Amino acid sequence: MEIIAFVNNKGGVGKTTCSKLMAEYLSKSKGLRTLCIDFDPQCNFSHQYLHMEIDPAAPEGLMPPIHPDFDPTDPDDAEWDGRSSIAEIFYGQGVVPYPTYVSNLDIAPGHAEKLLTAESVRRSEVVDKVHKQLASFLNSPDVAAAYDAVVIDTAPSKGPLTISVIKAATHIIIPSVMEEQPVQGIYGMLQLWMQESLTREKSRPLQLIGILPNMFKQTRLHKDILKSLQDNPAIGKYVLPVKFSQRIVFAEIDAADSAPRSIFDYQEQHVAKTEALEVCSHIAERIFA
Amino acid sequence: MTKKKRFGISEALTRGLSETINVVENNAGVFRNVVLPLSRIELDPENPRKLAIDLIDIRAGIRPEDPNYERKQIELEKLRELAHTIKSSGVINPVVVYKNGEVYRIVAGERRCLASILAGKQEIEARVFNEKPKGYDLKLIQWIENTAREDLTLDERLGNVNDIIREYQQMHGDVEVTATVLKNITGLSLSQTTYYLAAINAPDDVKVEIQNGNIRNLDKAALISGVESDDLRTQAINACVNGSSLKEIRNIISQQKQVKKNIVSLQASNRGPKTAKINMGATRNANVVKRIVDCVVNQREYDKYASIFTQVNWNDLRQTTKAFRKLIELMEREMVV
Repeated sequence: MEIIAFVNNKGGVGKTTCSKLMAEYLSKSKGLRTLCIDFDPQCNFSHQYLHMEIDPAAPEGLMPPIHPDFDPTDPDDAEWDGRSSIAEIFYGQGVVPYPTYVSNLDIAPGHAEKLLTAESVRRSEVVDKVHKQLASFLNSPDVAAAYDAVVIDTAPSKGPLTISVIKAATHIIIPSVMEEQPVQGIYGMLQLWMQESLTREKSRPLQLIGILPNMFKQTRLHKDILKSLQDNPAIGKYVLPVKFSQRIVFAEIDAADSAPRSIFDYQEQHVAKTEALEVCSHIAERIFA
Repeated sequence: MTKKKRFGISEALTRGLSETINVVENNAGVFRNVVLPLSRIELDPENPRKLAIDLIDIRAGIRPEDPNYERKQIELEKLRELAHTIKSSGVINPVVVYKNGEVYRIVAGERRCLASILAGKQEIEARVFNEKPKGYDLKLIQWIENTAREDLTLDERLGNVNDIIREYQQMHGDVEVTATVLKNITGLSLSQTTYYLAAINAPDDVKVEIQNGNIRNLDKAALISGVESDDLRTQAINACVNGSSLKEIRNIISQQKQVKKNIVSLQASNRGPKTAKINMGATRNANVVKRIVDCVVNQREYDKYASIFTQVNWNDLRQTTKAFRKLIELMEREMVV
C-alpha cells in the first residue's frame, strides 16, 4: 500500500485539486482500491465527495454526514453516533471510511473541530498524541488489506497534523504555483522532508516525488521561476517534468452540481483531461513502477 | 526601450532549497545528532570492552568484594578527571550510539557517557544510527574515535587496526590488506599504515614486548619488526626497552646492515664474457696472504708443505706473491687427485 501526500504550507496552491485528480486517476483509470484522507480542518477535500454538515454546536466548521452504513437499531452501532472522520484516530475511535460516487474510491473525511483540537495539544504531548497516530492507523493490517493506495490532502501548515502526514507517507508531492511565496512553502516542506528522512530507517525512505508546478500560466513570471528551479542542479532533479495549467475547468468541476463530476469522464480529447492523465500517469508510474 | 524584467527566486531561498536537498540525499537514514537522556543509554555487551568498570559501578558504587575492585578504582579516578572537564565545558564530541529497541547502545564513547553520569548530567549529545552498524563500519567508527585519544596503548591500537583488517577481509573475501588499502580505509598516511602493518606482523619476541608495554612507540615497533636476524633484533629490542631513541636503534641496525651489505655484494653481475677462471685479487697487505697460507697449511693434508713457506720473507711483496701462487698451485694439485 502506497501512501501519497500532497503537501505545501502555503495555502491555495492546489493541494486539494491535485489530491482529487490523483485519487480519481488511481481508482478510475488504474482500478486501484484507493482511500482519500482529508487532514485539513477546512474539509474541502471531504466536501468534494460528501455532503459535509455544519455542526450547530461547533462554530469551527464542517463535520461528516451520517454514515450510510449506520444503523441505529443495530446493537453493534449502539456506541456510535453515526459519523466518522479521520480525526477519530486521535480519540482512540475506529475510522469508518465512506464510499464515494467513484467506484474503488473511499474517503475518510475531515472533522474541523476534532482536527483543530488535535492540532492544539500541548507541545510536550504532541509526539505521542498526534505525530505517530496516522502512521499507526495506516499501518494497521485492516487498512493495509483494504486499500492499494492512500491519497492524503493536508492543511496549509507545518504543524502537528502535517508532521503526522509526513511520518505516515511513503511518497510526498509538493504542488506549487511558480511564484515567490508558494516557492517559500516548498522550502518549509523540504525541511519537514529532511527531518523525517534523517530519522527514518533506510529501508523505508520517505520519497519526494517532486515539485509539481500547478496553476501554471504562460507568463514571464511563471516561466522564469520554473526555469530558475529547473536550472539549479540540486533542485532541478525534483521539479516534475509535467505540470497543471491554470484552467477554469479544474475549478468548475468542484461545483456540486457539475456534470460530469470527474475530469476523467470528459471526452477523450478534452485538453484538461489529457493534461490530468499526463500528470497523474507520470506520478503513478514513479510510485507504482 | 526598457529591458524586459526577469524573474527568479531569491538567492537565499535557492540556497536553502538546494542545501536541504543535499542534506537529505547525503544523509537519509544514516544517522542524526540528538540529545539523549543518559538513562536510555546502555553499554554494548556485544562489544569487547577494555574498561572493567560498568554502569552499575558508576551508579551504585564499586562493591569492595568485587574481584576487579583495584582496577575499577583506578578507572574511576580517571573518569572523575574527565567528569571534571565535562562539568565545566561539556562533552565536545557527540558519542555514537545505535537504536536497540527502547534503548540506545554505545558504539563509541563509553568513557564520555560514564563520566557524564559522574558529572551529574542527565543528557548527552549523541549521533544516532537507526540500526546497528555492520561489523566493519562499527570497528571503523570505534577506530576513528580512538585515534583522537592518547591514553590507548600501542597494543590496543594495533588490536584496533587488526580488527579493522579482519572485518574488511570478511567483507571483501580474504584479500591482502596492503598499506595502501589500509590508508584508504582509515585515512592515515601511507607511512603510518606501513608501520602499523609491520608492527602487526611483528616477530613473536617483538609482540611480547609490545603486549607487555615495553615497546610503546609505533615507529620503533615497526623498525625493530623489520630486522630479520634474531641476534640483531634482540639487541634492538633491548636498546628500545632501555630507552634508546629511534635514531639510536636505527644506528644499531644500520651498522649491522653495512656488514651485511658487503657480504651481499659477493653476488657478481652476469654481464661481460663468460668467466673461465678465478681472479684471486690483489692486496698491499702481505699479512692477508700470510694468514691465508697459515690457514691452509694448518690443515692436516697440507702440513707436508709447511716447510716451503717457513723461508718466505712476508715483508717482501714479491716473495709473498710467489708464495701465494705456489700455494694455489699446490692446492690445485691436491684437489685434482
